[in-house]
Amino acid sequence: MLTLAWTYLRIGLIFFGGGYVLIPLLQHLLVEQYKWLSLREFLDGVAISQLTPGPLAMLATFTGVRVGGFMGGLVATICIFLPCVVLMLFVGRYYTRLKRIDLIGSTLDGVLPAVVGLVASAAWSLGSSLSSLRDGLILVAAFCLFRYTRVSPMLMILGAGLLGVLLP
Amino acid sequence: MTDTALQPKVPRVSLREIFLLFLKVGLTGFGGGMAIVALTERMVVKEKQWISAEEFLHGLAFGQILGPFSLNTCTFVGYRLRGVAGGVLAASAFLLPSFIIVSLLAWLYLRFQHLPMLQKALAGTNPVVVALILAVVLDMGKKQVKGTSGWLLALLAFAAAALFKLNAALVLAIGALWAFGAALYRRRLG
Repeated sequence: MLTLAWTYLRIGLIFFGGGYVLIPLLQHLLVEQYKWLSLREFLDGVAISQLTPGPLAMLATFTGVRVGGFMGGLVATICIFLPCVVLMLFVGRYYTRLKRIDLIGSTLDGVLPAVVGLVASAAWSLGSSLSSLRDGLILVAAFCLFRYTRVSPMLMILGAGLLGVLLP
Repeated sequence: MTDTALQPKVPRVSLREIFLLFLKVGLTGFGGGMAIVALTERMVVKEKQWISAEEFLHGLAFGQILGPFSLNTCTFVGYRLRGVAGGVLAASAFLLPSFIIVSLLAWLYLRFQHLPMLQKALAGTNPVVVALILAVVLDMGKKQVKGTSGWLLALLAFAAAALFKLNAALVLAIGALWAFGAALYRRRLG
């Protein structure tokens, strides 16, 4: 449980650039390094976290439950969000005096391309678990829907689940 | 921006009200990220008038630094209203519904993972998840990756993580350090 707490706390500390950067971070640690869950389970977890209003980081809850039951989920959730909540409390306290915001802002802008590259690498390795033509077709169709319409990811995932049951 | 503009009179809001409001955001904010920020803004700035639009925007800007900005904006608003207790309470109330839903779904998943029907449903969602991530990559790439150095950094990060299996956290830390150095350098010049 301590390893679990420490792992999620570390991820919480370097979690810049919005929720999607969590996908490569967690995938690397949990699937490749610790082998706490399989690539397939990880993908299922992303789908499940998208079914809630919370941030994508609810993926931490899912993986925590998978590794350590309910307590694991609780510890993972608290640890992953602790750093950013503490930081925001600090910002709330001192924000009138935070004059170096331009430096922080340009650092963030500068690191974003690396985030894009990392998220792309997650798509690459998660995509390697798909093999059939059917998966390929669903992927292309879903990609077009995400690009050209404003359907919410939650509806898409529910729809895809239904499709998965109905299709042979 | 004077100090008086940034520190407007904060109305006295009870912790219970904060908890209930953010619980509502956490329960109904389907659509993620910006949808939640827009919902929070409507509730705390327009309807309740707890904080000013300007202050809310500052919170949102700082919220991009670390972690999900939807959560950070909630923490910030809670803090401005009632200090640390308000901030922690707002964050917990916002996460609570999702935490319960995910725990429940994860438990069901682990229990019934092997049922053929669930297997089929989940197999249907897998390509959609990959498509979602790809769509995000394209969207972020269009907005955030500019110029040769940006593309080079994105490509390097991709190659390091996907092909050389380098630790994603390490890649991110190096990227941040590099960006900080570049920002410092540009500031010296400017």
